[in-house]
Amino acid sequence: MQFQPRSTSQVMLMVVLATIPAIAINTWFFGIGTLLNIFLAIAVGMAVEASSLSIRKLPVAENLRDNSLLVSALLLGIAMPPGSPWWLTTLGVLFAIGIGKHAFGGLGQNIFNPAMAGYLFLLLAFPLRMTAWHLPEAAIDPAAGISPLSLGSLGQSLRFLYAGESVVDGMAMATPLIESKLASQSAVLEAIDTDLNIFARTAETGWELTNWAYLFGGLFLLFIGIISWHIPVAVIATVLLTSLLFYSPGGASVVGTPYLHLFGSATMIGAFFIATDPVTAATSKPARILYGIIIGVCIYAIRVWGSYLDSIAIAVLFGNFCAPILDHYVRPRIFGRGRTRATHSASGSG
Amino acid sequence: MLPIVDNWYFQLGVLLLLTGVIAWLLFTANTTIQHYWRGSASLVDLINLELPQTQCGQCGHAGCLPYARAISQGEAINKCPPGGITTIHRLARLLNEVDQTVDPAHGRPASPKLAFIREAECIGCTKCIQACPVDAILGAPKLMHTVIARECTGCDLCVAPCPVDCIDIIDAPTPVAYWSQAC
Amino acid sequence: MLSHRVRRSLKFGGITPPSNKAATLRSRIMPMPLPARLLLPLQQYREQPAQPCVNVGDRVLKYQLIARGTGASGLNLHAPSSGTITAIDLEVDFFIKGRTQTAIELQTDGEDSALPLSGMEEIEAFEAEQIITCVEEAGVCGMGGAGFPSATKLRACLNQEMEYLLINAAECEPYISCDEALLRERASTVVRGAEVIQRACQARQVKIVIESDKADAIAALREALQASTITLCLVSPRYPAGEERQLLRAATGIEISREQLPTDVNCLVFNAGTAAAIYAAVIEGRPCISRIVSLSGAPLQTPKNFEALIGTPISHLLALCGIDERVHVDTFIGGSMMGMYLPATSLPICKTTNSVVATDNVQFPLPDNELACIRCGYCADACPENLLPQQLLQFSRSRAFEQATDHGLDDCIECGACAYVCPSKIPLVHYYRAAKEEIAAETANKRQGEQRKQRFQYWQYRRKLQQEARQQERADTGKTASLAETNAEEPFSREKARADIAAAVARVKQKREKKD
Repeated sequence: MQFQPRSTSQVMLMVVLATIPAIAINTWFFGIGTLLNIFLAIAVGMAVEASSLSIRKLPVAENLRDNSLLVSALLLGIAMPPGSPWWLTTLGVLFAIGIGKHAFGGLGQNIFNPAMAGYLFLLLAFPLRMTAWHLPEAAIDPAAGISPLSLGSLGQSLRFLYAGESVVDGMAMATPLIESKLASQSAVLEAIDTDLNIFARTAETGWELTNWAYLFGGLFLLFIGIISWHIPVAVIATVLLTSLLFYSPGGASVVGTPYLHLFGSATMIGAFFIATDPVTAATSKPARILYGIIIGVCIYAIRVWGSYLDSIAIAVLFGNFCAPILDHYVRPRIFGRGRTRATHSASGSG
Repeated sequence: MLPIVDNWYFQLGVLLLLTGVIAWLLFTANTTIQHYWRGSASLVDLINLELPQTQCGQCGHAGCLPYARAISQGEAINKCPPGGITTIHRLARLLNEVDQTVDPAHGRPASPKLAFIREAECIGCTKCIQACPVDAILGAPKLMHTVIARECTGCDLCVAPCPVDCIDIIDAPTPVAYWSQAC
Repeated sequence: MLSHRVRRSLKFGGITPPSNKAATLRSRIMPMPLPARLLLPLQQYREQPAQPCVNVGDRVLKYQLIARGTGASGLNLHAPSSGTITAIDLEVDFFIKGRTQTAIELQTDGEDSALPLSGMEEIEAFEAEQIITCVEEAGVCGMGGAGFPSATKLRACLNQEMEYLLINAAECEPYISCDEALLRERASTVVRGAEVIQRACQARQVKIVIESDKADAIAALREALQASTITLCLVSPRYPAGEERQLLRAATGIEISREQLPTDVNCLVFNAGTAAAIYAAVIEGRPCISRIVSLSGAPLQTPKNFEALIGTPISHLLALCGIDERVHVDTFIGGSMMGMYLPATSLPICKTTNSVVATDNVQFPLPDNELACIRCGYCADACPENLLPQQLLQFSRSRAFEQATDHGLDDCIECGACAYVCPSKIPLVHYYRAAKEEIAAETANKRQGEQRKQRFQYWQYRRKLQQEARQQERADTGKTASLAETNAEEPFSREKARADIAAAVARVKQKREKKD
């Protein structure tokens, strides 16, 4: 059997597989809200992609097979707040795929990350809806003992999907980052200290564990060589360093611990899955490191001093802005240039 | 937060720095600005560089430089058949104009040509030698004339003066060096 | 002296495709049964073709000189077997479809009677110049693929202090195993050939560079190097480790740019097969008439390495390996990364043909459709020159040639590593070749245009001088312009010119009649 190097569809599929553990943990703790968003996003995404391709007179089946849509729709679905009505996700996918990807020229030609472009569009157009998580009662009050995966909770999640203006049951809630635990330690460590099972819903370790799962998924991709280490390491290191720089325990304004910045928010998924989108990132290795640094700085700055809850989308889009300039100016040394030995002028010959 | 950020000198400094960076980026990345900044070549010279230098006169001007001058004053860029669409494309990019095809009133673009003198019929009148704008014909009065293939541009100006009509225009043979291995 | 450390062969990138050499290395190098006729192309290197020094109908013996190389880099051509010359300007197929090359046709008589050979037994007694002359007479050229005349290469560095002499035995490309087979069975010829070259170029250190996974060849070399000052240098097996500049860096640490040659930094690199050919030429006095060729591919029943005579038609060799024409689709020479497809199998083996591969639909399926570039960067990871292939692709496709050149398109060695790893199956090297050719044509046109402009300007200047001189003359002598001069300044008309000439002819006729 001849060795076949990877194909595009295999690469994209691996990325999707790497997110599965995190999505599973998310569902376990918070109910099927995110799963519903993902399925809806993928379904609508397929429809949008198919119609865009046929409008552009390209072969639909062949181009759908390269799985690039799967990744974009998946990321947008993950980013959407659980419990969003169906039309919100649909609108987001329409913008993300139709305009963010195909209007720029399709696969490989878009400047901006389509999922993040769609997310930002929704964030600007529907700020309230995009900052409110609608979870089933069971997830918000773990002590009540009802599982978010029970039929009742499933029903609640579905109702959120098709809800009109009124929101039945469940509560609006922002991401754990803005929760009261800004200055606290890791919930996982707390749970371990108090001999609690970290997978128990009462331990409130859900979001943290999700992030650890994204970290492991990202390391898996790194290990099998789908992504290179430059962007994730640059993003994470920059976020870590800036958060360490500005961290003042017990200070007047609480900016959050470095651990919170890495594991209490969306930094892990941003570093490994969103910023590493090859089409929109910088190309050469040194340029990628700078790109990661720019994104890391933006993540921290917008999160702490900006007015948005989480800044991954905006930070990544800003990085996409900067990628062409980085590509133009930051180029690796070509073999044979720059560090060569000069031609030896021999006497009379050569 | 660090107290220095509240200092307005610091803020002004950051603003100036950002402005400087953006200005530098715009300047170095924009090639049109670079062309004019360097000031080494005038627009006419830049245009002339793109023309094939056949000096054939098919554009209606007596040579490539007069046509370049005319272009810099607004003449159409599609009058050069020996240059073909390659030249038009490069001129369009240089002058921010639309890509066009060669104006058929001035001739049709064709593969490179050479002039060839049928030496048996040549009478040695030197009229073709005087007509050739690049001195590509070798000869002397009442002696044999012949075309130096490497210098000939195929411009066609020698054919008309020849009183015995002994000059043919043939296709220039493509050297093996230009065979495309990509095919 | 032995070296156990395996050096990193490539500083950047590189790939490890399956080598597909096991099939040809299963057996020893086979001698080749004589073909009925041999076709010997005269154009061996880029320079002038060799001049035949035999005539049609001549009977030649093996090793006899049949064409003499011309110019500074000419290559001699010798008869690989005895027989009769039946043509000296036969047009045979060239590897470019539709074009032909001139060749000498030799009908073999089966007897293989040879000229007696006389070589230098003790090279220590001879000077470098004599050795080089011997190499030149034998028509030895680079057997690694480039085919540069070895004598010219050696002569160019006669006055230089050579630091390193490297023997390139790193055969990195899949399917090619001729050098490995040579080393496995005849390592001593390569080692002694290296010693001859050392004597000719006075190199201070000699290294034989080989990939570390060629176990049999390394063992044979170790044995042959036991009494020698030549060292063995092992490099990690990656493609393209055998590329000259990469090899130079791996063995000596010196990096040179694409425009430089190893001789510019006092190094000399010779292929292992060339070293063996130089040994044969100098020590045994045998001119270059054969080389080892690997024949592989699924349609062949018995792939093997042959000691093939130069000029053997490839179809002869394929038949010897038992080719199954039902599955045989195409044939290429070289390896699967940089090989060239042949328009026909009637082409003869040249001094640079190292391998012939017959393809079928299974091992070489039709390429997939090209998808859009997703800028994943695997190609940049694989590029041994540390270029940015995705950028080069973008610039080549959009014909932004200045930017492509700026990003190092000229440094691309067309090794194909980028295309190998591309998940979107884009034929990257084809794009770069097309772009390079367009750039070359444009550069040539520009240069030509510049030259024409100068000639035109000089022509205008000369005419202006002539006119001024004429006007000056008229002003001085008060003469009015002669008829011819006023005519030259009028707009030209063919009928008028014809009338003028007819009148002149008539006048001459009149004068003659008057005289008689």
